[in-house]
Amino acid sequence: MGEATPLWAPIALLGALCALGLAAAVLDAVLSGLPTASHPGDAVESPLRSGPLSAAGDPFREAARLLVQQRRRTSLADTLLVRVGVCGLLVVAVLAGVVLPLGDRPVADLAAGVVWFNAMEVGAWGALWLTGWGANSVYPLVGGYRFLAQGMAYELPHMFALITAALGAGSLRVGDVVAAQRGLWFAVWMPVAFAVYLVSALAMAFWGPMRGPVGPDIAGGVRAELSGPDRLLFQAGRHLLLAVVAAAAVPLFLGGGAGPLLPPWLWTSLKTAAVLALLVWSGRGLPTVRMDRFMWLSWLVLIPAALAQLLVVAVVVG
Amino acid sequence: MGLSAWLTRYAAARPRPLVVTAPHATRLRLLAEAELARRGWRGARSPAGADLLVVCGTPAAALSRAVEVVWTDVPAPRTLVELRGDPRPELVTTALDGAVDRLADVRSQRLDAAGRAGARDGRHGPAQPYDEHDGEHDDGEHHAEHGRHGEQGGQEHHGGHGGQHDQHSEHGGHGRHGEQGGQEHHGGHGGQHDRHGGHGHHMGNPGGVPMAERGRDRDGLTLDRLHVPLGPVLSDWPAGLVVETVLQGDVIQQARVEVAGGLGTERFWDAPWLAALEGRRVTRGEAARRGAASRLDSVGRLLAVAGWGGAATEARRLRDRLLWERRDEGVPEEFAGFARRVRRSWLLHWMLRGLGTPGLSPGRSRPGRDGVAARLDAWLDETGRALNALDDGSPLDDDAGPRGPVGDRPSEALLSALPGLLTGTELAAARLVVAGLDPDLDQVRPAREASHA
Repeated sequence: MGEATPLWAPIALLGALCALGLAAAVLDAVLSGLPTASHPGDAVESPLRSGPLSAAGDPFREAARLLVQQRRRTSLADTLLVRVGVCGLLVVAVLAGVVLPLGDRPVADLAAGVVWFNAMEVGAWGALWLTGWGANSVYPLVGGYRFLAQGMAYELPHMFALITAALGAGSLRVGDVVAAQRGLWFAVWMPVAFAVYLVSALAMAFWGPMRGPVGPDIAGGVRAELSGPDRLLFQAGRHLLLAVVAAAAVPLFLGGGAGPLLPPWLWTSLKTAAVLALLVWSGRGLPTVRMDRFMWLSWLVLIPAALAQLLVVAVVVG
Repeated sequence: MGLSAWLTRYAAARPRPLVVTAPHATRLRLLAEAELARRGWRGARSPAGADLLVVCGTPAAALSRAVEVVWTDVPAPRTLVELRGDPRPELVTTALDGAVDRLADVRSQRLDAAGRAGARDGRHGPAQPYDEHDGEHDDGEHHAEHGRHGEQGGQEHHGGHGGQHDQHSEHGGHGRHGEQGGQEHHGGHGGQHDRHGGHGHHMGNPGGVPMAERGRDRDGLTLDRLHVPLGPVLSDWPAGLVVETVLQGDVIQQARVEVAGGLGTERFWDAPWLAALEGRRVTRGEAARRGAASRLDSVGRLLAVAGWGGAATEARRLRDRLLWERRDEGVPEEFAGFARRVRRSWLLHWMLRGLGTPGLSPGRSRPGRDGVAARLDAWLDETGRALNALDDGSPLDDDAGPRGPVGDRPSEALLSALPGLLTGTELAAARLVVAGLDPDLDQVRPAREASHA
């Protein structure tokens, strides 16, 4: 905590998160365009057929559309709660990011950085529930319920995974966790914790197989009633959250900025991009997990596995 | 000004369509879906997320009211495309091109938006606006600027959570008498569409009942009961199906099936068999093609509801190639790979296991013929077999349509089975059960619509 944080650090953090969030959106759009686009015979009579490249512009057009779109309201909606929820998602994502080192050091090098990260991302519970509740409409409400159930299922395994990494380093400071991986990445010698982290990261960003709270089966769930700028902020917050949980995997399990030749910030970015790509792919490549089933898996498999991993790490370190 | 005009035009190139299909308009829906996929336009999940409403076919009274309500829920800039009449691909192409032009027409979009600005507070939730009492809105006695509380009595359409109750009000500053005209309700571009407010009842109805009634749920807790219709406007949902539910939390306590019909008689998926029964010459290959496409359509819908977007797109892509492009080389091989991936997905099977099997508690699996997983398996098997018979030139002489003997109208039996299968399930499971049965409402006789079975 010695020297003052340089002024550019928060700006760099914001820029990096936005770039990652946007990259996630673009990759998702391209992936969703893929299966329809690559049939050899098509080009002949279908000049209009959109290729993956034109799909890459979709997030930008979507943002433009939402910027000029009317904001609609539901009857007796609690507008304040919805606004708090919609903006809250963005806020918690950025706040969770401040303890993550982009290169050598994070924006805020807190002694209990791992706990801070966890505490901030739990704010997503509140944000999502408020958005779902405030709209005064069935599908958002059901989406909100779903996220609470999801939280019950993923949060404990998630915390155990984080604590395992901290225990391996003997410190809650994110920088120390990175330093402790000089010899061997935590992902290698605590693979169960890493796997649990990835699953819970998806659940936290309600992405991919964990998209239940915004699922297509309930008309978009929490965001079913959002339009215009509200929807844009919500989507942006969701993408930033995904970017943050992907970025956190790097210092916690993948050795942070360590790597040959390239500077640390570049290694951090590359590793983050790889994790992010994996998470985004899961959105197209896997079906949605229903919470009544996942709850079972979480409490009977993930939590015991995470605890066993914690025990192993405790024995090795101790 | 300049910037928002530019943004509007920039965004217009990629609309987010919400497709509503009336019964007997399956062919139009398929053409529209194929064209939307070709253009890479990703569908919206709710009216709030859409800016393009595509109505396939001619909805009868109940469905057309639902469409109207949904239309008022679509935020501007928005446009409406009504596909009806001669189902040709060019019809769809021209209509969608026109939609892009209208969305990019900054001036009329602004007029539309300004016209609706006054109708803000009365707005209601989107999702499920179907209500048979909604007809009262059309009797012309609601004038502009009348704050108005909903007045449907009779049925229990109340709800709301935590003791809130919904107030409708009908604003709009535009007289509404003029443009009534039942089915022929066009508009939506050029700001000439000006009915707002006050429809939409999925959450509740202040008509004298301010709070949701309560009841014991399956865990013995006393919870609010919400009356929520599923459908008819819902993505990846059988055209024209309405399931009136009583929800506690997201668990369905009661379910009742209704049909929001459409005008016409065509039964697209059964057509080859019906033609053969009438004595016209139809080849087995032609019937096999239709049958395979029908099952792929069902598979695609089930996978979409299951949240597996990539696989759903593949199924629909194969379906479109069979139906419209008719270049079959490579299709059986590609299907084989697709079917293998779907069958091997343990995650999918874990999610489908035990669903749609009456009498089994959720989560328990038992290998059987009925459940959703078994039906998916059967659809894949039947598609594979049909793909091997595409070139069969011999005349068709059976009546085994994609959903069973076409003369029996098997979807009517599916609809009767539905309430029993849905009661006690959570919404997520209920959607999968419906998609797993995938009733074809083109098969349902009008008599059934009247009876509200």
